[in-house]
Amino acid sequence: MDTPTPAEPTPDDALAAVAALRRLADRVEDDAVERALADGWTWLRIAEALGVTKQAVHKKHARRLKEQ
Amino acid sequence: MFERFTADARRVVQQAMKVEAKALGSKTVEAEHLLLALSATIGVSRDDLITALDAETAASLDAVGVTMRPPPPPSRAAQPRIGASAKIALVRALESALARGDKEIRAEHVALGVLAADVGTVPRALAIAGLDRKALADRL
Repeated sequence: MDTPTPAEPTPDDALAAVAALRRLADRVEDDAVERALADGWTWLRIAEALGVTKQAVHKKHARRLKEQ
Repeated sequence: MFERFTADARRVVQQAMKVEAKALGSKTVEAEHLLLALSATIGVSRDDLITALDAETAASLDAVGVTMRPPPPPSRAAQPRIGASAKIALVRALESALARGDKEIRAEHVALGVLAADVGTVPRALAIAGLDRKALADRL
């Protein structure tokens, strides 16, 4: 069963949607990485699951989570 | 870039970086974070601005059929970098001071810089909240 696709958005709405999707993706990533770490995942495994390098995930999250 | 900013204008930029962008878990400081830091300058409550920004995100996601809403911001966020929309707003702040013949960049110039954008998150959020961007700028 296909879900109905929304009417094609205007360029203005579509561009704003891309910006909103990036914000959404960042939030989902922050939350998922924290929960994976709490579950004992290694940075290497998190990186592989995200499809990015270990360096990338480390740079993005390790410093953030070490602060405070 | 900040030599000509008054203490007040610097406080706005600092608050956008160290408080607003960080609280929302954003990797970059954007125009909307400057807007939140300028709540008192433009005379709109911060709560109303947050509601407007959330409504903009929801409307933009709905436009492409996404019903998921962002999870709450992370408890720990890195110090954000300056983002593209904030850079544009700060350049426009300088331009609005020049246009008025003002030598210093004050908080209201930063507000004019943020309110000058006619595309992007800020104008969309203000429109959704029923706030007239030009009327807000005219009061400054």
